[in-house]
This record gives sequence, C-alpha cells and structure tokens, in this order.
Amino acid sequence: MDPVDKRELTILSEIGRIATSSARLEEKLQRIIDVVMRGMEKDGASVFLLDASGKNVTLVAAQGLNQESIGTLTFPLGAGIAGWVAQQKVPLALADPYSDPRFQYVPETGIERFRSLVAAPIMDEDRCLGVIFVLSQPAWTATGSEVTLLTTIANQISGVTKSTQLFQSIQDRLAELATIHEIGMALTSTLDLAQLLSLIAANTTQALHARGCTIRLVNLPEIQSLTGQSVDRFVSDAVRDLDANFGEILAARTVQERRPLLIEDIRNDASLAFIPDRPAGSLLSVPLIFHERVIGVITLYNPEDGSPFSEDDLQFLATIASGAAVAVENAAMYERMEYLANEAKARAQELSILYDVGTAMSATLNLDRLLRIILTAATMGGTGLGFNRAILLLTNERTNVLQGMMGVGPSSWEDASRAWTEVARKHKSLLEWIQTGELFEPRDTEINAIARTIRIPLEPASGVLAMTALEKRPFNIVDAASDPLVRPGLRDILKVDSFATVPLMAKSRAIGVILVDNMFTKRPITEHDIRFLTMFAQQAALAIDNAINHSNAETMNRDIRVMHEQLAQSEKMAALGVMMAEITHEIRNPLVSIGGFTRRLARKLTDPEAIRYIDIILGEVARLEGIIHDNLAYVKNVSPLFTRQRLNPLLDEMLAVFEEEMRQRGIRLEKSLADNLPDVEMDAQQMKQAAVNLVTNAMEAMERGGLLTVRTSLSAEKNEVVLEIGDTGPGVSSEAMHNLFNPYYTTKVKGTGLGLPITHRVIKSHKGTIVFRNKETGGALFIVRLPLPKEA
Amino acid sequence: MKKILVVDDEENICRLYREELEDMGYEVTTVCDGTSALDAMDKAVYDLVTLDMRMKGIDGIETLRRMKEKNANLPVIISSAYEEFKNDFGSWCSDAYIVKSADTTALRETIKKILG
Ligand SMILES: Nc1ncnc2c1ncn2[C@@H]1O[C@H](COP(=O)(O)OP(=O)(O)O)[C@@H](O)[C@H]1O
Ligand SMILES: [Mg+2]
Repeated sequence: MDPVDKRELTILSEIGRIATSSARLEEKLQRIIDVVMRGMEKDGASVFLLDASGKNVTLVAAQGLNQESIGTLTFPLGAGIAGWVAQQKVPLALADPYSDPRFQYVPETGIERFRSLVAAPIMDEDRCLGVIFVLSQPAWTATGSEVTLLTTIANQISGVTKSTQLFQSIQDRLAELATIHEIGMALTSTLDLAQLLSLIAANTTQALHARGCTIRLVNLPEIQSLTGQSVDRFVSDAVRDLDANFGEILAARTVQERRPLLIEDIRNDASLAFIPDRPAGSLLSVPLIFHERVIGVITLYNPEDGSPFSEDDLQFLATIASGAAVAVENAAMYERMEYLANEAKARAQELSILYDVGTAMSATLNLDRLLRIILTAATMGGTGLGFNRAILLLTNERTNVLQGMMGVGPSSWEDASRAWTEVARKHKSLLEWIQTGELFEPRDTEINAIARTIRIPLEPASGVLAMTALEKRPFNIVDAASDPLVRPGLRDILKVDSFATVPLMAKSRAIGVILVDNMFTKRPITEHDIRFLTMFAQQAALAIDNAINHSNAETMNRDIRVMHEQLAQSEKMAALGVMMAEITHEIRNPLVSIGGFTRRLARKLTDPEAIRYIDIILGEVARLEGIIHDNLAYVKNVSPLFTRQRLNPLLDEMLAVFEEEMRQRGIRLEKSLADNLPDVEMDAQQMKQAAVNLVTNAMEAMERGGLLTVRTSLSAEKNEVVLEIGDTGPGVSSEAMHNLFNPYYTTKVKGTGLGLPITHRVIKSHKGTIVFRNKETGGALFIVRLPLPKEA
Repeated sequence: MKKILVVDDEENICRLYREELEDMGYEVTTVCDGTSALDAMDKAVYDLVTLDMRMKGIDGIETLRRMKEKNANLPVIISSAYEEFKNDFGSWCSDAYIVKSADTTALRETIKKILG
C-alpha cells in the first residue's frame, strides 16, 4: 500500500471517530487538525470557516499558531490565502507563500514560524464552508497526492461541520423554545402593568444577552390621564443614556412601519441618518401587535463592545413580542376596569350623599335649620363632602349686598379631632345625624362668628366672594396671599392660604355663595371636589330658595300660601328633573363602560373565582341601571296620551296582577266598582302606574295582613269619577303628613320615595286631585278625583 | 365587510362599541362629535351609524338631520343614556332608539336586523 494511502486511511478513520463524539464544533475541528498535522507529519494546521454573513472567513481552530488569533483573525473573501481559496474553491500549495502576491502577513498569528503551506477548500456541494491549512516549518513542496489527501480530508470535515452545525442549531432552537415558554409563563403571572413591563424587559434582556431594554406603549390615554401615574413606558437603567432623546423617535418609526428592525451599527447605519446624535452599538426594535393594532414597541440595545444582534435574535424577540402584546393588552384592560370600578364607587357615593342631603333638606322649610343642614353636609367627613370649614352667604337683592349667614367647623385642631372622632365613633350616616338633630344645637363657634361679620357689596371690586355670585362660577384659590382676587380683609379673618367658593344658583339667579376650606387637614381642594360641591350647591340653593319663599309666604293668607307651595313644589320638581337627567347621563355612561368591558373580560377568564367577582359586578351594574330607570320614570315628563276609556276594567286588570301577592301577605281585597261609570279622558299607561303606586303603598302599610278596599263611584255633582283606595295599616304618621308628596321622602328602608310624587303628577296632568286622610277606624284612605269630559 | 360609524363623545363607549361590533365582523370607525361624524361621511361610505344624542358641539339630533341630508337612506341608530325620548325617535327619522346599557345585546341585535 502506498504510504499516503495508509496515512490517509488512519487519518480518515480518526476523523470519523471524532465526528461522532459529542464535542462542540470548534473542539472537534481542533482535534481533527491535530490528527491531520501528525498524520501528515507536519508541524502546523488550521481551519477557517465562513461566517453567517457569507462574506468573511474566520480562524476557528489552529495548531502551531498563536491561540489568541482563534475567533479574531478574519479575511474577507478574496483576501489573503484563506480568502482566495475560499473564493476560488480550489486547493493551493505554496512552497514559499511569502513571495506570493496573495499572501497577507498578520504578525499576531505567528505564521512566520512556517516556511510552506497547503490549503484546501472545505466544500459542501458547490458551496464553500471554509478552508483547511497544513503548515510546515521546513520548506515543503507538496506532492499531488498530498494535495489530494488534504482535499479528501476537507470533504470529510465538511460533513462533520454540517452535521455538528445542524445539531447545534437544533439545540439552540430548543433552548430558545424553553426560554420563550418560561417568559410566557412569567407574563401570565401578573396583571399589574408596570410589573409586567419590567418582567418582559428583564426576561428579554437576559435571554438575548442584551445590555438593556425599553418598552413603550402607544396611546393608553385612559390609563395615563386617569390614574395620574403613567405606566406607558419602561427603560432599564443600563440603557437610560443610550435611549435618551433617541429611543422616542426610533419607537415612533417602528410603530409607523409596523415591522421589526435590526440595526447592527446604530451610529453608521444609513437608514437611521434622519435621527441626530445616535449612540454607538446595535439594537433590535420590534412592534407589539395585538389584533392588528400596534400597542407598543420593545427595543433591545447592545453597546459598542458587545457582539451585535443577529437575524436569529430578531426572530426570537418577535416571537416573544407577540406573546407580550397579549399580556400587555390584558393588563391594560384590567387596569382600565379597576379604574372604572373605583370611579363608579366614588360616583355612587356622591349620589347617595346628594340623596341624603336632598331628603334632609326637603324635610324642612325653616331657613336656619336648613342652612345648618347644608353646612353640616359640606363639612362632614365620610358620608359628607368632608371639608374642614364652610361658610354660607346669601345675597340680599334689595341692598345688593352679600351677607354671611352661618359658618360651621371646628375652631382648633383639638376641637376638630374631637368632633371627627365622635362622628367616626358613632358610625351614623349623614342622614341619621341630620334627622336626630344632634348637630343642630346652636353653638357659638369661632367660624360662625367670622361668617356673620362678612358683609360685602355685590360688585367686582369686592373680590372673590362677590365675583363668585356675579360670574356665577366657582373659584379655587390656591395662594390667597398672592391672589389679587382675595381682599386682605377676607384673608385676615379666614387665616388660610387655600379655599374654594361656589355660587348657590336657583333658577339661574345667584342667591348666595358657599365658601369651604381645609384649614386643619391642609388637603388640597381638587377640581373634582369643586365639581361635586357645585352639584351639591345646586341642590342646596333650590332648598334655600324654597325656604325663603315659604317664609315670605307665611304672611299671605292661607289659600295663597297653599297655591304658592304647590308652585314651589312643581318648580322644585322641574329643577330636580333637570338634575336627575344630568346625573343619569353622568352615571349611565360609565355604567355602560364598566358593565360592557366586564362582559368582554368575562369571555376571557376561566378562573371560577374571577368569574364570581365578574357576576357580582354585572349584578350590581344591572341593579344601578334599574335604579336609574325608576328615577327616570319619576323625572321624565312624558305628556299623557289621552283617550276616552273606562276606569273599572283598568283597575280590574291592575288588581289581578297583585292577587297572588295579596294572598301570600294575608291581605283581603274588597272591590266595589260602580256600574255604568262614564268614560274618562286618560292615559291608560300612566293612570295604571298611578293606581299601582297607591295599591303598593297600601299593601306595604299592612305588614301583618289586613283589608284592602278599592272603590269607584260617581261624585254627588256627577262631574267627577272618584277612586278610593284604603287600607287597615297604621295610617300616615303626623310627621309624614307634610312630606308625603315630596320626591324622595320615604319612611321605608328600601323605599324610593317616588311612588306618591309620580301618582300626584299623573293625577295633576289629568286635571284631577288627590287627597288622603286617616280613617277613624284606622288605616289610610287615598281619594283620587278625575273630572269627566265637559260635554258628557 | 360592512362599515359602521360610531359617534359618541365618551371615549370608553366608542371603544366598547368598536370592540363589540368588530367581534361581529364589521369594520368600525369611531368619532367623538357630530362635526367629525359628518366629515367622516364625506371620506367614506358607511352602511350604518350609531349616534349619541348628547354631545359637545352640534348635538345628536342636528347631526342626524345633516346626515340624512347627505344620505337619506343611511340607517342611523340613536344610542342614548336617556330613556325619555324613546317615543320620539321616529319623528327624527332615525331607524331605532337604543337606551345605552352594559348589556349590548339590544344594540347588536338591532344592527344585525338592519344590516341583514
Ligand atoms: N297607605 C299608607 N299608609 C301609611 N303610610 C303611607 C301610605 N302610603 C304612603 N305612605 C307614606 O308615604 C311615604 C312615601 O310613599 P311613596 O312616595 O310611595 O314612597 P315609598 O313607598 O317608596 O316610601 C311612605 O314611605 C310612607 O311613609
Ligand atoms: Mg311607594
């Protein structure tokens, strides 16, 4: 056997053994060239491989050369011997490479130790994967069979390289999948947006060995503007400088172009030329896309000294980004929900305060008591508006002067904390405080004395109090000392830097002003406080106006007074209607959002506990929508649609609905409907509602059963149809007598106080009358009279 | 794909309607006032409009009138927080009147009925 053949066999079988080992590619190559070098009885060998770009060959294994050159020595295709062989794809034997024009001397390698060399391309079909060299210290002119041997070896290395690279890329891919899975798990672990962003950032930075990460979210206006603290971005500390003033523009571009961006050299990349002051290093920027909407951008940076990102890194980041987008969207949705739910709670609370105060106010026509209720509500914490002190002033139109009427609030810290602990300890609602009258003992407080000294002309020169009434708008004074609107006199007596004023508006006249401050707690007065205070003041003004008119009216004779009260009543109702409509709009819209988004959320959740919460939210939303509906039934002023009808069948039909309930409650029905009653002009729908309200009240009055009487008859003058509904309950209490027809007046725990007002209005629009009395035998009797049509 | 224009000055409601209607397979555009709604009608052809009544600037009724001037056959559904105008919608030439509710079933079914 030719010695070359024998050597060849030994070398090739050695290479075969190495190929099947589980070492990394670089290690295998190192061992292979060792075998080759020794097998060919030479003293040096090396391997260059084509890099990912396909444009350069890089030294990956070497024997006899300086090891530092491994991984750093690189030739472009065509340059140096290695570059030339890789490009020409032919072997080359040089007995004296130093005289060859293709040779490039790189001193760091230590190549000068060798005199001669042979190089062969490592071919995969017609693609060149790299070059193998054999080096000799003594001068060496390689034979044809030696060159052939090296070419054969190169072929085998090609197989090793390919299979090892394949194996490695599979392993890398597996590792990548594992990371993606891990990140995916992490992302579903939180619904807190800020936390989620830093999680995404930390995971991707680590997985891609990046220096740092920024995440920007597009357009979450609700979250930013509403919660005040914006979680619209995340910037890791390591890249804060890199990202400054550059990141924003880049992100904007990624959002616009909707596609991932890989920049290997930020400073010299032509496509970024439009951005001034670019940092050095490389970056990856990928849009977060949810349902075809770009919701954000994630950007990873590597500094100059790190290795630039690759196409693989980009793919990896894109995969993570699609999962992250879903997580971010979910978290944003959750955040929005939370905000809306809190908002709804706050509004429901406000609504209940307005009701409480409204109820308390409608129960009195005594001006002094009324002012005290208003100021108490304004200063009471918890269930009230919660300001520290409040002063109420009224305008005197005759003298054109604004007069301080009353002030409420503690005069010192000790006083304040004593009063507030007492309120907190007794756990009473605003309404209870007012009804028990505990707060109304006249007390000579400092603030009351201050209030009563205020007396200023109603003209702009008088400053903020007068301006509030003249311009009919609130003022929020933040720094009294520097505010030209605040006259020194007022500042001296109030002794606070910040306070707010709102006008008391009744029928578009400013009848007074309320001033509030937080002297002791120093809590800033917000725009929201002012809005709520304004709503409150509207209601207060109405009640004050009523009370003033009433006291004026007392001097008139009885008939006129009754008329006047009726007038006041109807105007109050009209104004209330406007307010209710306002509130309806304010409440219903957020309810739609809350409920609507909750329903959407429900479709995404599977956790049974979460679903239970969702059901609670949806149930409450439906209940609130119901309350709004009832209130509207009272407030909406639908004009009746009159047709000529018989009253009796309408009553029969209505009573039939209650049969079952009456039986259960032990209530007996005595019905005596007069035959041959003439038709009346009525809106059947509304009349039925009016009668239902009376029957419901009668039934509710007879808690332990009793007798319900429903009677119709023709009046003695034969010009009216009379409907009487009576019960055997306790009758109407003397306290309730005067308030029965007032909206929201109720003595029942779950009452709305709207039944009788609705009935009253329906009867009135039918030109009828309604009165009630307590029967001598006990129980209440309500009597409705409806006029017959004229020609009848 | 049928196109729907949602007009409402509450951003959240725009968003809710958009998501709900997109789920049904419609293409949805949202605007927050009457003027933008009329502008939108100049730029694209819509198959249906949902219109809030109470909005800043020109209100829903006036918007509706001008919409019908532009295209008398365009179906318009009024979507309002108020119940009290429910009986009047016919006289304003709108095709339906929906009281806003967290339960969007009524809205969705009305739209399905009109667009077939
Ligand atoms: N038949 C009756 N017997 C005794 N009190 C009554 C009767 N009808 C009404 N009232 C009183 O009038 C109040 C107001 O009634 P209404 O306006 O229907 O509101 P609500 O029934 O919601 O309380 C009741 O809370 C009750 O105190
Ligand atoms: Mg009732």
